[in-house]
Amino acid sequence: MPKIIIDGKEIECRDGIPVLQAALEAGWDVPHYCYHPGLSVVASCRLCLMEQKMPHPQTKEMGWAPKLFPSCQTPVKDGMEVRFHSESVENNQKHVMEYYLLNHPLDCPVCDKAGECSLQDYSEKFGNATSRMVEDKHKNPKKDIGPKTLLYQDRCVLCTRCVRFADEIAGTGELAVVERGSRGEIDVFPGEPLANDLQGNVVDLCPVGCLLDKQFLFRQRVWNLQTVPSVSPADSSGACIWIDANDAGVHRVRPRFNERVNEWWISDEQRHGFEYVNREDRLTRPRIRENGQVRGASWEEIPAHLRAAFAGDGSAFVISPMLSNEEAWLLATFARQVAPNAVLACGHVPVEGQDRSFPKGFTIRAEKAPNRGGVERILAHFGGPQMSFDELCGQAADGTLKAVYVYGGYPAAWITPAQAEQLSRLDCLVVHDLFDGPLTERADLVLPAAPWTEREGSFTNCDGLVQAFERARPPRSGIKAEGQFFQELCGLPGLFRSAKIRTMLGESIADLAETFQPRKEPEHAH
Amino acid sequence: MAWNVVDRNTAGDLGPGISDAVRQKIRGFFDRYPTRRAVMLPALHITQEALGYVSLQAMRDVAEELEVPPSDVLDVVSFYTHFWTHPRGEKTIMVCRSLSCELLGGRELVEALKEKLGIGEHETTPDGRFSLMTEECLAACDHAPCMMINEKMHKCVRLDQLDQLLDDPDNDRLDMPRSDLYDAPGGEKPDYAALARQHGHHDEPAANAEDDDLGYTSDVGEMKDS
Repeated sequence: MPKIIIDGKEIECRDGIPVLQAALEAGWDVPHYCYHPGLSVVASCRLCLMEQKMPHPQTKEMGWAPKLFPSCQTPVKDGMEVRFHSESVENNQKHVMEYYLLNHPLDCPVCDKAGECSLQDYSEKFGNATSRMVEDKHKNPKKDIGPKTLLYQDRCVLCTRCVRFADEIAGTGELAVVERGSRGEIDVFPGEPLANDLQGNVVDLCPVGCLLDKQFLFRQRVWNLQTVPSVSPADSSGACIWIDANDAGVHRVRPRFNERVNEWWISDEQRHGFEYVNREDRLTRPRIRENGQVRGASWEEIPAHLRAAFAGDGSAFVISPMLSNEEAWLLATFARQVAPNAVLACGHVPVEGQDRSFPKGFTIRAEKAPNRGGVERILAHFGGPQMSFDELCGQAADGTLKAVYVYGGYPAAWITPAQAEQLSRLDCLVVHDLFDGPLTERADLVLPAAPWTEREGSFTNCDGLVQAFERARPPRSGIKAEGQFFQELCGLPGLFRSAKIRTMLGESIADLAETFQPRKEPEHAH
Repeated sequence: MAWNVVDRNTAGDLGPGISDAVRQKIRGFFDRYPTRRAVMLPALHITQEALGYVSLQAMRDVAEELEVPPSDVLDVVSFYTHFWTHPRGEKTIMVCRSLSCELLGGRELVEALKEKLGIGEHETTPDGRFSLMTEECLAACDHAPCMMINEKMHKCVRLDQLDQLLDDPDNDRLDMPRSDLYDAPGGEKPDYAALARQHGHHDEPAANAEDDDLGYTSDVGEMKDS
């Protein structure tokens, strides 16, 4: 590992990275717009310039070279010495910032990026409080560049991160810089909108408030959001995400760096597909059918009811791939406690088309459930009678099965009318799901489920990688989160803590106990 | 949406596309360059010569031929001021607005032209005869003020010459042959020696021009091979 000296302090850094990346990883706050580790280097924003020691051409004596070097384009070399805190570097930052602010509108109060904007941060740190510009600012119209994205040209600093993203990562190249110099603008070709399946990433990449997500537009001020690390349940890739939420609900999902899965990006379905957790019509109360009448039930009476209904032969539990490893393990444990011969089945796995890969390797998985791998691993561990969900529906129809517990938890309607019809012939059907549907109408007991934002645990992705996610919101009033409920069913005392259950689970299934922690990456776009 | 937004989801009128003959001519250039993308500028020159300007549909057609996204073509077209994105007149008048011409009456020239033609900069007369634009430097500072009509340079233009100049049907006739740079490859080669004699130059063409059908030096061939 090379050692370099920054501002007189020696640091060790990874090989082959730019000085800027090394400085950021070591904790320096170097301003930059155009550099992003996932994209090619253009060195066009001129904010990250540094001073470097070089041998004098004649005397060969080492000294500070008179010109400044872009630190994003200079690879680290063992023994090199650079500095970011010197008069000339700071003067450059100040003057470049003044240049960027020449035409920038002062519309932070109505800008979605305010609070996490590099231009705000840098102008506070390096800029002037007043502008010396006396001419009129350029004014450009806003552009509707795609079904999900708006472009406010006034705010652009032409870092071209978005253009490089569309070219290199998405591979579709919808974006371009049109005109040139001070008239330069980001634009798409008329009639060829930005509509690829990764396009939401340009909003995160934008260091200023130029590219905005229509889903998040004017929705919340970012300083009113709490951010929690999570894992996307939208497909089986296990992409790491940040969830931005507050008391009014979940408002935004952003990518979280993970070198083994999604790097800095997420797909649009992972980004925008969370809206169901905020839906008003979610189930919030247990319901029970007694003598043909449906009445509201309390959570306290349910364990006894379940034990009675599932104790005999012919009981089965459908464990959905939407459940975490811990929850699946607890539910399977309970199933075998109450009925040692209970059938365990992995729930319906939604599949859409084929896996789709993008030029640099980002893949959107066809399997739209986060944890089939984990559920199947746990079912394999438990052994005993098992079958597929389709077989289970068949056996429910022909009377082999008497009582079935179905956990759903899918974001959209999932069961076919034929399957619902087959399951409705059971003596006892328990449905644990997010929304009313054909199955809840026929169920003897309906339990409200919590979406992944209101739970904690770990998912096993399609490559067997186990990753933990945290709870972004408390369960909606009236709902008992799955972990807590299953733990009580199993007779375990106390509050549900996924780490504790993971340790218990690890005693029998060692490979699900260790969660993968991605490398900590400095924030390049806030 | 409630506020003023330019809609890019729909295209509107894209204008005329390029003909099959133009496509063929563009394809003839593929062999000269290491990648198709590199044929961008010749393709756009050929298109502009055929249509008089580069319409949005023409940009799409060129993008299709070069196998690049249409936005890349828009990027290049909008970068260079000499590509027109809207129709222009039969003759384009370009007046220099750089320092020497400015000092020697270039601005008066532009104002007089605007008045005579009744149009502003980057506009076209209703009869479609003239378009007017200004240019940064025409590289003839010693003959300021100067202007070009299509590819013909007019030097030391005086205001009292303007009427005569505009009425002259030959005001854009070149006294030397046009560049063959964007003619279809494989066509007849110009007689370089005759051209040199005609213009009083005595330089012989490059020795290796005969070895190369296209008149290009061999490094292009090397790039193709690598």
